[in-house]
Amino acid sequence: MFMKRITIVAGHYGSGKSEISVNLALNNNIDYIVDLDIINPYFRSRALSDVFEENNIHLVESTIKGMLNSDMPYVSGEAAVPFVRDDITAIYDLGGTENGGRVLIQFVHRIKNMDDIDLLYTVNIFRPETATADLIIKAIHDLEGEAQLKVTGLINNTNLMNLTTEDEVLEGETVLVEVSKKLNLPIKYTVVEETHDFKHQFKGERITLSRLVAKRWL
Amino acid sequence: MAKVLMKGNEAMALAAIKAGCEAFYGYPITPQNELPEYMSKHMKANDRVFVQSESEVAAINMVYGAAGAGARVLTSSSSPGIALKQEGISYIAGAELPAVIINVMRGGPGLGGIQPSQADYKQITRGGGNGDYYLYSLAPESLQEAVDLIKESFDIADYFRNPVMIAVDGLIGQMMEPVDFENEVPKWDLKPKTWAADGDRTNGRPKNIINSLYLDPAVLEQHNFKLQKKYQEMKDHHQRYEMINMENAEIVIVAFGSTSRIARSSIELLKEQGINCGILRPISIYPYPEKAFKEIPSTVKDLLVVEMSTGQMIDDVKIANECRLPIHFYGRVGGIVPEAEEIVNKVLEIVGGVK
Repeated sequence: MFMKRITIVAGHYGSGKSEISVNLALNNNIDYIVDLDIINPYFRSRALSDVFEENNIHLVESTIKGMLNSDMPYVSGEAAVPFVRDDITAIYDLGGTENGGRVLIQFVHRIKNMDDIDLLYTVNIFRPETATADLIIKAIHDLEGEAQLKVTGLINNTNLMNLTTEDEVLEGETVLVEVSKKLNLPIKYTVVEETHDFKHQFKGERITLSRLVAKRWL
Repeated sequence: MAKVLMKGNEAMALAAIKAGCEAFYGYPITPQNELPEYMSKHMKANDRVFVQSESEVAAINMVYGAAGAGARVLTSSSSPGIALKQEGISYIAGAELPAVIINVMRGGPGLGGIQPSQADYKQITRGGGNGDYYLYSLAPESLQEAVDLIKESFDIADYFRNPVMIAVDGLIGQMMEPVDFENEVPKWDLKPKTWAADGDRTNGRPKNIINSLYLDPAVLEQHNFKLQKKYQEMKDHHQRYEMINMENAEIVIVAFGSTSRIARSSIELLKEQGINCGILRPISIYPYPEKAFKEIPSTVKDLLVVEMSTGQMIDDVKIANECRLPIHFYGRVGGIVPEAEEIVNKVLEIVGGVK
């Protein structure tokens, strides 16, 4: 199977983690989606709870159940379940920056091995905080320091929303290839929005992205 | 620099740095936290001042002090925090000091909620604190416009020696959009800050005193007249607005910020139904763009005010409209953002259905 049993989607805030998490969960019959974003007040994956229910995906919220806007940094104990039960597939949607990674420390002692877990770092080079290979490498190291876990792969989510061109995605790929070589990490996915007809065979598997989270908010 | 993808709060912070903001003082509150967070990293990196103060009241008084010393200074907060800052804002206006204040509005009253709102309209456009003063107040509808206006706002504040308020709602603070930071913005003709209490009297200047206390009523009256002159200049020469799709319009939506952005989608949907609907978009909410109402074409039969409040802007529309057209209202509150279809339905109800 291309996807590991657990995929943890990390990255700078605004890198596209939530949209990617939701799309991955819906397209791959995942059992659990765990929203660990305790930072962002808007545009969170948990706003799609009805869509998850329709698709038999169990949502673990990082807020007191049903209190979408409580603005409290609370993580449900249930978030640990996929780490202890190996019959459950899960997507973890982290909060932004290295601070989002800190939430993972509580699960580290439950992880026996990383063989069935991917911790993927999402990059959009048009986000100034992750514009160059050096900045991305530093951000990955910061995240690993906070999460006490090693990043296992990269997601190229380079975009300027509806203005994105094929060349710009490739520009992102060039930067990520450099990161990939320096850190010995694969580019696991490249994201292309469903409204863009890009023919190029980008590195990694393609995620054809539908903007479900933003649509719920805008 | 080409376009980058930014979150609203970050983009506004970087715009202030680009405008030469020398000091930021603030206290955290959702949904504007990314703004001070960005400043905490990048002000230091640019060798400028960042302080997370112990409270909003402390922050605005630090702004008062830094502005008095002649610095370009910024604070940001969200509705309840801005309410706490009103005393300081009144002092800053009274002492004729420039400062930029960003309000990323959330639902109220009281602590309210963390979702977007425009319900601070009256507080913003009527001054907010005690006394006869106003803030030059700008309400951008996109991140690019927010960036451009913030870059210019420091000049505006210096020119008038008066605080400038950037009024956005949580949606603008939290949303992501491509932004170009190199857009040219108007440069204002600024005089040196000879009034600043900067501690440098090597040129032999007399002492500069920063103060809003005038115990002699005759002097205080003259001071007030002086302030009013500035507000009159704002009204006469610096109203800002955009007229959208006015040709052959039969109805005009009056909306600012996020709401006008949603109304843009509504007028496209209305076109498909054969209805020409315009948008009068105030960009300055103080001074209110009364001049725009004189440009409304004679084809227009109704005005529809759309806001994320219970109708705080209606009074201003009434004044500007001078009883010419019937005024209708549609609003959502408490953090609920109106959808384009809801506005379409309200327009259809007014004009009498699909043509």
